[in-house]
Amino acid sequence: MAAPPVIEFRDVHKSFGALEVIRGISTTIERGSVVVVCGPSGSGKSTLIRMVNRLETPTRGEILVDGVSSTCARGEALRQLRTGVGFVFQQFNLYPHMTARQNVTLALRKVLGKTRAEADAVADEVLDQVGLADKAGSLPGQLSGGQQQRVAIARALATRPDLLLFDEPTSALDPEMIGEVLTVIRQLTHHGITLVVVTHEMGFARTVADRILFLDQGRIEEDAHPDAFFSAARSPRARQFLSQILSPLHTTGD
Amino acid sequence: MNLPIDWSGVLTGPPLHWLLSGLAVTLAISLAASGIATVVAVLLSALRLSPLPPVRLATLGLISLIRNTPLLIQLLVWYFVGFGLLPQGLKAWMTGDHPWSVLPGQVSLFAPEFAASAWGVGLFIGVFLSEELQAGLNAVAPGQREAAASQGLGGWHTLTAILLPQALRNAYQPVVGQYLNLMKLTSVTCSIGLAEITYQARQIESFNSHAFEAFAAATVLYLAIGFILERLLLARRKA
Repeated sequence: MAAPPVIEFRDVHKSFGALEVIRGISTTIERGSVVVVCGPSGSGKSTLIRMVNRLETPTRGEILVDGVSSTCARGEALRQLRTGVGFVFQQFNLYPHMTARQNVTLALRKVLGKTRAEADAVADEVLDQVGLADKAGSLPGQLSGGQQQRVAIARALATRPDLLLFDEPTSALDPEMIGEVLTVIRQLTHHGITLVVVTHEMGFARTVADRILFLDQGRIEEDAHPDAFFSAARSPRARQFLSQILSPLHTTGD
Repeated sequence: MNLPIDWSGVLTGPPLHWLLSGLAVTLAISLAASGIATVVAVLLSALRLSPLPPVRLATLGLISLIRNTPLLIQLLVWYFVGFGLLPQGLKAWMTGDHPWSVLPGQVSLFAPEFAASAWGVGLFIGVFLSEELQAGLNAVAPGQREAAASQGLGGWHTLTAILLPQALRNAYQPVVGQYLNLMKLTSVTCSIGLAEITYQARQIESFNSHAFEAFAAATVLYLAIGFILERLLLARRKA
């Protein structure tokens, strides 16, 4: 039997009060693929990936991660699910009172029960992977925005997840720091990890993604290979979105 | 009128011994109550974050009860009622002979006076500490909790490794203030017979009527402890 897809959305809905932000999404994300989720602001992109590791709970429908339903997972099962899924936030959310190394080792020690020596070895390895081996002893406040986001990526990589979710990883960065973060994410595509990236960086999407999901008003409006999406988007909403975001006045920073 | 001041009435003989043993007891009770207050504050913070509404409600009820009643009444209750409710064996053990646990001035760490005082003052200040920590917790960015959740950290580790250290940093000044309050509030424990500084000052007053000198000496001792404690705690922050 073939391995189940990394993520399977089954008619997923999500409302916040009266506001329905996800209106019936069904799709699968294949192992090792790089999927970019884009769409206008308020289209439900962030909510969609935040439901995968249950930072939000779907109102209706079901999400399977590695064939196991995440929708009803509780306690230990939920913790186990989350350690297998790395999440990178727009605002980094590093722990400000801990050094870069401690940020990386915390979950290794407290969740996976590794010794300090084992955890430090992993931290050195993943910090090196994002090009910050020399910043292991720095506090987040002593790092630039780009460096903080790279530490956050290292932290997400520490538990060796099969799946990494990025929630607008470059939106809070100054333009000159976007490139360094995108470079790190691009390198991850060579490691066979499944990446789901919510981003407005269309240059990045075009060159790195295997697949683009364009969301509008809580639905998948277009699901296409980047070549097809950028040259011949079918839906009028996607064409309008692209014409706005790719206009000469808009810098993609990539 | 002239106040006849004679320091030899407090700085020699038995009064000097009493003051020094009072100082030792005040230091010991402050230390013990601080430990209890710290544990109580952390536990209350954890209970306030419980996913179960009845637990949160009961915690808020307890906090309200302790915050809104006088410490003196609470001490009297713990001493006269609380101690009586302990199991017989424990009571016998606590009032038994433990030479290693005896402080200067014949005060045993397990005597009902000491135990009720440490628990009473510790619980009282622990509640106020948890309020200060709560204010500090409210100032921690919501993304911190999400980051912890996304890494699979459980509630206890999230609280102790991520939220409380930041809450403590946010609320450091008021938290230091509560530990200073605690040290000063130990003076109330003289009312249940704990022989700390205030108790000894009163004893000197009834021994030789040197009221002014006795209470002046007590004031200087509290001031000195408070000053040193404050320096130590604030220096820690700068470090």
